[in-house]
Amino acid sequence: MSGPDAGVAIRGHVGIGPAVRGIALVAADDFSTRYDLDRDRGVFSRPSHKLFGESYVGRILVLNAAKGGVASAWMLRDMVTMEKAPLALLLNDANPVMAQGAAFANLPLMDRFEGDITQAVRTGDLLYVDPAGGVVTIERRNGIDG
Amino acid sequence: MKLSSLELAMLDGAHGRAAQWAIEYQQRVGEFFDAADFVPVRLVHISTDRETIGDSGLRFIEELAEMPPAERKPRASAFADFRGFDEEAFRFLLPGRDLAGESEQAVTALGRLGIAASHAYVNDHSVTAPAFGEACGYSGTPSVIYMNSFVGARCNFEAGPSTLAAFFTGRVPRYGFHLNQARRATHAIRLDFTPKHVAEWGAVGAIIGRKLNSYWSVPAIEVAAARPAVLSLNHMALNLASYGSIAMCHVIGVTPEAPDWQSVTAGQRIGTLDTITRKDVRDFLDSWGGVGEAVDVVALSTPQLGIVEIGEVAELLAGRKVHPDTTLLVYAPREVKQAAAAIGYAKAIADAGGLLVHGHDFFATFAKEIRESHGWQRLMTHSVKVANICEGYGYKPTPASIRRCIDSAVAGKVLP
Repeated sequence: MSGPDAGVAIRGHVGIGPAVRGIALVAADDFSTRYDLDRDRGVFSRPSHKLFGESYVGRILVLNAAKGGVASAWMLRDMVTMEKAPLALLLNDANPVMAQGAAFANLPLMDRFEGDITQAVRTGDLLYVDPAGGVVTIERRNGIDG
Repeated sequence: MKLSSLELAMLDGAHGRAAQWAIEYQQRVGEFFDAADFVPVRLVHISTDRETIGDSGLRFIEELAEMPPAERKPRASAFADFRGFDEEAFRFLLPGRDLAGESEQAVTALGRLGIAASHAYVNDHSVTAPAFGEACGYSGTPSVIYMNSFVGARCNFEAGPSTLAAFFTGRVPRYGFHLNQARRATHAIRLDFTPKHVAEWGAVGAIIGRKLNSYWSVPAIEVAAARPAVLSLNHMALNLASYGSIAMCHVIGVTPEAPDWQSVTAGQRIGTLDTITRKDVRDFLDSWGGVGEAVDVVALSTPQLGIVEIGEVAELLAGRKVHPDTTLLVYAPREVKQAAAAIGYAKAIADAGGLLVHGHDFFATFAKEIRESHGWQRLMTHSVKVANICEGYGYKPTPASIRRCIDSAVAGKVLP
């Protein structure tokens, strides 16, 4: 397996929302709440999405780029209210809709990392996300560090 | 961000609680994108369809409406593209749910705030009209790319909450497509053929969108046709947004900031010219499959159909009947449905067994729940965007021309 060792900090642009600690769910795929999710069940519902069938609830979702329309700006807040939201979003490229949605929902969001975040982080990694500091720390590697 | 004395006063609450929430919210978004300051806006377009806003969004709007007027004074003119539900149609589509009642709650709350609700699809040129070069706050991605590209107004994707904020502050953060440098072409594309129908134009947008896949990409497109119809360009543009999160494009010799290549590149190199061929478009449309399979529902939607397209549908259905195992849904703004009734198109569609539905688009009116309610799988549509979204709702979509959609609806199966 490749990627930074545990304890390594990955820098990105200063983000939105509070600092959180949680487990990563990663794919080199894009993201829209409307296009990709069954928000009632809290799972990816788009058959062609790499995370199809996976539950995203309470996970730090690590994906490539925001896509699709305006829906995510309202939907992220509704997902938080319904307790069907990811814990945080880490994207290589957010668009304004995702940033506006994260700010509205007070959901942690970061993007514009120093490298491809979907390659640096693996599903199951324990992450500490600090949007105000613009840093993501891999605190424990999935299956490697105790 | 640099804030003016007025913006600082808003932040301090001197202009009411709504403006205080709004400017603080906008500042957070602006700083995320390194905005230097705010830019004033006169016109705001707010996306507030009932499915998208959810119960929490409705409560948020209602809480704003319940504030004393002095606490929620607007600083811009706003239209909501809240288009409600066709009560009669939805008794069939989603029985047991009072969507008309639910939608009325939001319309009422928006009205109390001073926001006009429209029933048109893309409120780009039918309701409000910013001028060339004017900054505006538009919400729907098709509206935004239309404004940036075809009107030459200046806008980022300002989704529902952010345009609600702009309504109270009269401004938006100045980043992205408010800045000259972001509006220059980043990629050069050439069509070596002329698409035959809007599904093919949509496919062109989808192919480019998938390839570029970034909000900050601005394709400049050279077309073979002398001047494509606005509806064709709209299908291309809204799929650039749908498949690639793209908010601006140029069409050389057609769009206002693209009289020639030199103008869109400002003399800078933007790489090799990519060519999209008819084969690329056919391969894209064929990739959805479904030929020969039973078609459960044909949804002509997104954008809602105009009166000319409704006339085309009525003509195609003349003397024919929709297959009894297939549902044909034809979406139109309420005003267009009324016009279709007056002209006789509505009766022609109804006589053939089709359902003319006013209100919001198919995909944004609980399409997943409708599929589950009816057990539908195979969907045909002339809108490549509907195909993109509804795949995530469990449908098996097949995008095709309106003619092929209608012929398939009559046959009860996906025709080649």
